[in-house]
Amino acid sequence: MALVEINNVRKTFGELEVLKGVTIEVEKGEIVTIIGRSGSGKSTLLRCINGLEQIDSGEIRIGEQVVHAKSTDLRKLRQHVGIVFQQFNLFPHMSVERNITLAPILAGRVQKGAAARELALKVLTQVGLAEKIDAYPEQLSGGQQQRVAIARCLAMSPDLMLFDEVTSALDPELVGEVLKVMEDLARQGMTMILVTHEMGFARNVASKIVFMHAGKVHEQGPPAELFANPATPELQNFISSTR
Amino acid sequence: MQLNFNQLWRYQDEFLHGIQMTLTLTLIATVFGLAIGLAGASLSRSRFAPVRIAIATYVELIRNTPALIQIFLIFFVLPYAGLRFPPFYAAAVALSIYMGAYAVEIFRSGLASIPKSQIEAGQCLGLSKFQVFRHVILPPALRNIYPSLTSQIILVLLGSSLASQVSAEELFHTAAFVESRTFRSFEVYAVVCAIYFVMVLSLRLLFSGFERIAFRWPTRR
Amino acid sequence: MREFGIFDVLTMLWAVQWTAALVVIALIFGAPLGLLLAQMRTSSNKVLNLIALCILQIVQGVPLLAMLMFFYFGMPMFLGVQMPALVSVGVVFSIFAAAFLGEIWRGGIQAVHTAQSEAAACLGLTKWQGFRYVVAPQAFKIALPATVGFLVQLIKNTSLASVVGFVELARAGQLASAATFQPLMSYACVAAIYFAICFPLTHWSRSLENKLNGAR
Repeated sequence: MALVEINNVRKTFGELEVLKGVTIEVEKGEIVTIIGRSGSGKSTLLRCINGLEQIDSGEIRIGEQVVHAKSTDLRKLRQHVGIVFQQFNLFPHMSVERNITLAPILAGRVQKGAAARELALKVLTQVGLAEKIDAYPEQLSGGQQQRVAIARCLAMSPDLMLFDEVTSALDPELVGEVLKVMEDLARQGMTMILVTHEMGFARNVASKIVFMHAGKVHEQGPPAELFANPATPELQNFISSTR
Repeated sequence: MQLNFNQLWRYQDEFLHGIQMTLTLTLIATVFGLAIGLAGASLSRSRFAPVRIAIATYVELIRNTPALIQIFLIFFVLPYAGLRFPPFYAAAVALSIYMGAYAVEIFRSGLASIPKSQIEAGQCLGLSKFQVFRHVILPPALRNIYPSLTSQIILVLLGSSLASQVSAEELFHTAAFVESRTFRSFEVYAVVCAIYFVMVLSLRLLFSGFERIAFRWPTRR
Repeated sequence: MREFGIFDVLTMLWAVQWTAALVVIALIFGAPLGLLLAQMRTSSNKVLNLIALCILQIVQGVPLLAMLMFFYFGMPMFLGVQMPALVSVGVVFSIFAAAFLGEIWRGGIQAVHTAQSEAAACLGLTKWQGFRYVVAPQAFKIALPATVGFLVQLIKNTSLASVVGFVELARAGQLASAATFQPLMSYACVAAIYFAICFPLTHWSRSLENKLNGAR
C-alpha cells in the first residue's frame, strides 16, 4: 500500500477551481517532485496534504489516516508529517534550540533540558549547523534559517516531509546549501513531496515527477523519461521555458 | 509672595497615604483592565456577530467619551445595580472599564501583528490551539504592544486623579484636602505635580528595565 | 427641583460652544508651540533637544487635572494677580496640546527626515525651504491620522475645565444634575453629546490611518 494516496481531490477558492481532480500516489521512500507554472495548484495541493486547506471532494490518505475525515486528529497527524515553507517561518523569539525542541517537548517526546538539547544538536548536525544552536533566527542567513527549519521538522522524526518552494525566497548563492541538505535526506530514505522550481534537483534526485497544469496532473513519471520525452506540448513548453 | 513648603511637611502622612491609594487604584485598574482587554480581544474574533458588536460598542463608547464623565456615570449607576460601593471602589470600577476598552484595542492590534504564517507553522508542528497561542503568538505579540500597553498604564496612573472628583481618597484628593487646610495652593499643587512626575518616571524606568529582561531576542530593526 | 427635560439638553448643547472655544484656543496657541517643540526635538542642537525633551516629559508625566489646579489656583496666588478662568484654562490646554502634537509631529518629521532633506539640500534648497516644501508635506500626511486622534483626546480632556468651574459641556451636565437630581440622565446626555462629536473624528482618524498603511 502506498504511504500517501491522493485520490481525485477537488478544491475551489470562491469561484476559482484550483484543483480539478488530482490523483497521486507516493510510496514509502519515494521523492515526488511537483512541477508546473505558478497558479497550477502545486502549493495548494501541498497545503491540502497536511490539512492546512480543506478540500471539496476526493480523499487524501496518509498511512492509516484520512486527512480530512472528521475523526482525524490533525495535531497527531502533523506530528508525523513535517512541512518546510518558502518563508522559513521560524519563531523569531526563540533560539534555534528552542525552535527545534518546542514541538517534541510539548508532544512529550523528549524531556526538557539535556535530552532536548541533545536532540537539537543531533538534527542540527544533520543540516550542518550544530554551532548555531544558541543563535536567534534574525542572526542567521536565509539559507541557514531554512536549514534550521528543516532540522525543526526532523526533530519530530516525520514519516513524510513536504517542501513548499523552499529555495524560492533565497539569494541564489544560498540555494545550494539547502538543496544539499535535501539530497542527504533523500539518500537516507526520507519520503518527500516537494514543490520546486529547481529543475536540476528534480531531474537528479526525484524518483517521480508530477507535472501539474490547470489544476490537474498533466503528466507524471520518472524524471529521465519525462524530461527526455515529454508527451504533451504543455510540458514541452514548460521544460524549454525553464532552461 | 513668599514660598513656604514647610507647612506641607506636617501632612506627609496624608501625602504618603494618598500615594499609596493612587498606586493601589492604578494597580487595580491595570489588572482588571488587562483582563478585560485580553478577554475582549479574544472575543472580538468570535464567530458570533452579536458578541463582536457588543465588544466594538463598548470600546467605542469608552474611547469617545471623557473619562471624567465615565467616572460620574459609573458612580451614579452602581447603586441602581444594587452595588453600594465606597467612592474609591466605584472609581476603581470606572478606571478598570476605561483601561479595559483601550486594552482591548491594544491586544487586538497585537494579535493582528502576528503573521498568519507563524500560526500555520505552529499548527504544522502539531501544536494545539492553546499551545500555538501560548508559545507562538503571545511572546512576540506582547513585545509588539509593550510600548503602547505601558504608556496606557501610565495614562491610567495620571487619570486616577479624576477619582478625586467623586471624593475617592487618593493623592489628588489629599492635595485638595491639604490645600483647604493651608491655603498654600501654589506649593501644594507644585508638590503634587512633582510627586506624580516622580511616580511616572519610576514606572517608566521599571517598564523599560523589565522590557530588557523579558524581550531579549534580536529583531530586524 | 424640576424634571430633567429639553431645557437641560439645550443648555448642554449651548455649552458645547465653550468646549469648542477651548479646543480652538488650545490649537491656536498649541499648534505653533508644538511645531517648535517638534523642530527642537529633531534638531541636531543637543541643548535645544534636551529642553524640548524635558518639557515633553513633564507635561506627559503630570495629570492634566493637577496642571489645571496649579495654573488656576497656584499661579495667581504666586504671581499675586487675578486670572480669569479662560486664561489659566487656555494656557494649560495650549501647553497640553503643544506637548502631544509636538511628539506626534516629531514622529512624522523623523519618518521622512534624513534621506529627503539630504535630497532637498542636494537640489540647492535652504534648510527652511527643504522643510517647507519637501519634509513638511510628507510628514503632515504621515502624522495626520494621529493628529486627528489627538483632537479627540483634546476634546474629551476639555471636560476637566469643569473642575475649576469653567462652564463647558461637562460643567453644564453637572449643573443639570444638581438642579434636577437626575445625575444619570444628565451625565448620559453629556456622554452622548461628546460621543456624537468624537466618534466621527475617531472614525475619520482610523480611515486616514488605513489609507496611509494601504499606500505604503
